[in-house]
Amino acid sequence: MKYDCIIIGGGLAGLTCAIKCSSEGLSTAVISCGASALHIASGSIDLLGYSSGRYLTGDLDTHLDQLIKRKKNHPYAKIGKKCIWESLEFFRQILSKERLNLFSMDKKNHFHITSLGILKPAYLSQRSIFNGRLLDSYKLKKGLVLLNFRGYRDYYPGLAMNQLKKNPLFRDIPLKTGLIELPHYTKTARNMLEFRSIDLARVFEDETYLSKIAEDIRTGAGDADVVTLPDFIGIHNYEKLHARLEEMTGKSIIEIPNLPPSIPGMRIEHALKTSYASHGGEFSSGDRVTGCSMSRGMVEYITTENYSDTRLSAKCYILAAGSFFSGGLKSGYNLIHEPIFNLKVAGGSDRTKWASDQFFSRGSHPFMEFGVETGTDLHPFGADAKKIKNLYCAGAILSGYNPVMEGSGGGVAISTGYKAALEVIKKIKKSSLE
Amino acid sequence: MINLKNISFDQCIKCTICSIYCPVSRATHLFPGPKQSGPDSERLRIKDPALIDSSIKYCTNCKRCETVCPSNVKIADLIQTAKYNYLKKKIRVRDFILSRLDILIRILSPISPIANTLMRNSLVKLLLEKFLGISRRQNFPAFERSSFKNCFKRNMQEQDIYDESVIFFPGCNVNYMDKRLGKDLVKILNAMNIGVTIPDNRCCGVPAIANSNIGRAKKYARYNIRSLKKALGDRDRRIVLSCSSGTLALKHEYANFLNLDTSTLHEKIDYITPYLFNRFSEGRMPALNPVHARVAYHSPCHLERIGGVMYTIDILKRVPGLDLVILNSECCGMSGTYGFKKEYFKISEMIGSQLFKKIDDAGPEVVVTDCVTCKWQIENMTGYRVLHPINILAMSVFKYGLDEYL
Repeated sequence: MKYDCIIIGGGLAGLTCAIKCSSEGLSTAVISCGASALHIASGSIDLLGYSSGRYLTGDLDTHLDQLIKRKKNHPYAKIGKKCIWESLEFFRQILSKERLNLFSMDKKNHFHITSLGILKPAYLSQRSIFNGRLLDSYKLKKGLVLLNFRGYRDYYPGLAMNQLKKNPLFRDIPLKTGLIELPHYTKTARNMLEFRSIDLARVFEDETYLSKIAEDIRTGAGDADVVTLPDFIGIHNYEKLHARLEEMTGKSIIEIPNLPPSIPGMRIEHALKTSYASHGGEFSSGDRVTGCSMSRGMVEYITTENYSDTRLSAKCYILAAGSFFSGGLKSGYNLIHEPIFNLKVAGGSDRTKWASDQFFSRGSHPFMEFGVETGTDLHPFGADAKKIKNLYCAGAILSGYNPVMEGSGGGVAISTGYKAALEVIKKIKKSSLE
Repeated sequence: MINLKNISFDQCIKCTICSIYCPVSRATHLFPGPKQSGPDSERLRIKDPALIDSSIKYCTNCKRCETVCPSNVKIADLIQTAKYNYLKKKIRVRDFILSRLDILIRILSPISPIANTLMRNSLVKLLLEKFLGISRRQNFPAFERSSFKNCFKRNMQEQDIYDESVIFFPGCNVNYMDKRLGKDLVKILNAMNIGVTIPDNRCCGVPAIANSNIGRAKKYARYNIRSLKKALGDRDRRIVLSCSSGTLALKHEYANFLNLDTSTLHEKIDYITPYLFNRFSEGRMPALNPVHARVAYHSPCHLERIGGVMYTIDILKRVPGLDLVILNSECCGMSGTYGFKKEYFKISEMIGSQLFKKIDDAGPEVVVTDCVTCKWQIENMTGYRVLHPINILAMSVFKYGLDEYL
């Protein structure tokens, strides 16, 4: 089976890349093994959140400059600032076409509330998670109430409130917590205690209960202007539901990202997949790459579990298989390796140096920066240390950055996925001219 | 000692992603979802079968949980085996009939004009629902008067003139309900200079498996294995099917689920689109003419699981002029005979509602899908006519008009 490009990995990086390629008219296939890490991510996109353990509050353009100067091997340094901003704008537009509009504060971070009451930096957030109206109510010191549904066990607003109270930003903001009921469930055979976020999101999606929920929210909120709820406001029709809920209650309604499965993450996944399908892209889900054939330093074809006898070949391949969790990288006892192409990996020979002694060490863990080495064109190096000219790497499989300590996972995935797509498009257009 | 055959539940990290994508638990809270019904409960059930939760009966075995699992847990297999091993069996008349659809079809086929009218009569349907529990809101497919096998037998000699041959296992759908599909398939293969042999065959056993009639399923399976081996002889030929669930049964379930030996057959069995894809790639391809129609393609759950969707899409994309919309994959809710059962009908309808809406949004002239029960469900619930990819290919090769199929 022949394509212009085959993308291994259907997460944030892989899908961004796939959408860009297919929207430029390339025949594209994505090979994905199981659902992506978006299901366990917050759903906000971080670009660069921290430096040396501090929040980055200033102009991100300057912060990026500093990072690029300091860390030459960082994926951001490889692809450059212009491409980063362009990719985020592209990402924002594809989601907006799927009716998922993202909020950003010029080129600065905003800080959304988490379920533990910590503020977390992000560059792009869904409008129910952070928005301008919330910023204004912070300034005017308007009251905020953290509501939960009675019996829902994955979220404790009291915990979040006590943590928020320690934050100087909330010093003069009246905070309280409250419980509201979901009447529908008292009628079912099942016990509310078994419900996960997805069950509750479905109650919201079925708009029948919306007015009842709105009424409960109004009562529960009292005189507070801002109401926070766990992130349940639907997946497919979320923007409409959120707007209606705000209209019915007259309150500003903020969602707090919660334990997995992540509803905001699924909204993004759904929007990306719909967009990809609308460009005619192909997606092989629940599949695994089982082998590859190399010829003259290039990838000739790959084989997968589902398409066992068939060779899948393409002009270009993109490896966006994720890090250790997603199986893009594997660890042996004294070895970190990339299982499909056996690419050159940075880090990993001496096991004693993989991790710091303390789990919550400030210096983080070295293994977080392990990954595939690439050039500025995102080409990786094969076992013979030569560049593989028709293979590109993107996303969490890359080395040289620490998504947790820097708060950069989302930005790196989107920008490197986008950059890989640009390289592929350039290469294929050039070869078709020749 | 505890029998630990499928211990893939050890790999479960409790991410709950399977439950998100379970079409049944989306439609009803009566089913607690694949995580709880599969890996979570399995640990209890293997210790004491009495700890089984009867809610697993709602699982339709669409296998979407396995498709999305990031940790490679065989969730649906865990649930299916638990259903058969631990759930108390109460064979109902209805389930018996549905498990032996082939008999029903064989009885009704010769009197098809009367039978077809009767089966669509609202009083008959009401009685079927009252006494048997078959939902009156489902339509039974119309039966052909004579079987495909018999029609084919009449001109079997013609098949010897081609320089290659392939075995085609038609299954009940082609035999008794969709003769046109069988004819189209044979004509296409002939146009590729490939002759067709049709072996003696019984029901593939899928309805029997789905209705817990395992003894019957094994009988059918043994019969089919024997007759396929006989047809194969010592010639190196492929065996093709036009039905995605039938392929899943012959290729995987006979061996994995019914514990029968299919080792000599396994490698030779293909769903039709991968077979055609491979032959096309070798250059053996009929000339294609433009088909000017807007079609929406729905990928069936089971084809998705065994990995055949990209082949079908590849074949459809080769047809010039075809305005093809690929629907974002959703379950139609039928799952074999599940949607026929009164107690599940509403759930089945709910499951499919997302797909039906997407079809409406796409506004096609016809819908295309590989699976026959998906076809029944979509035709019944949306009113759109549903064709097989082979029908579309035949339209292109032989310049058939779309109106011939409507």
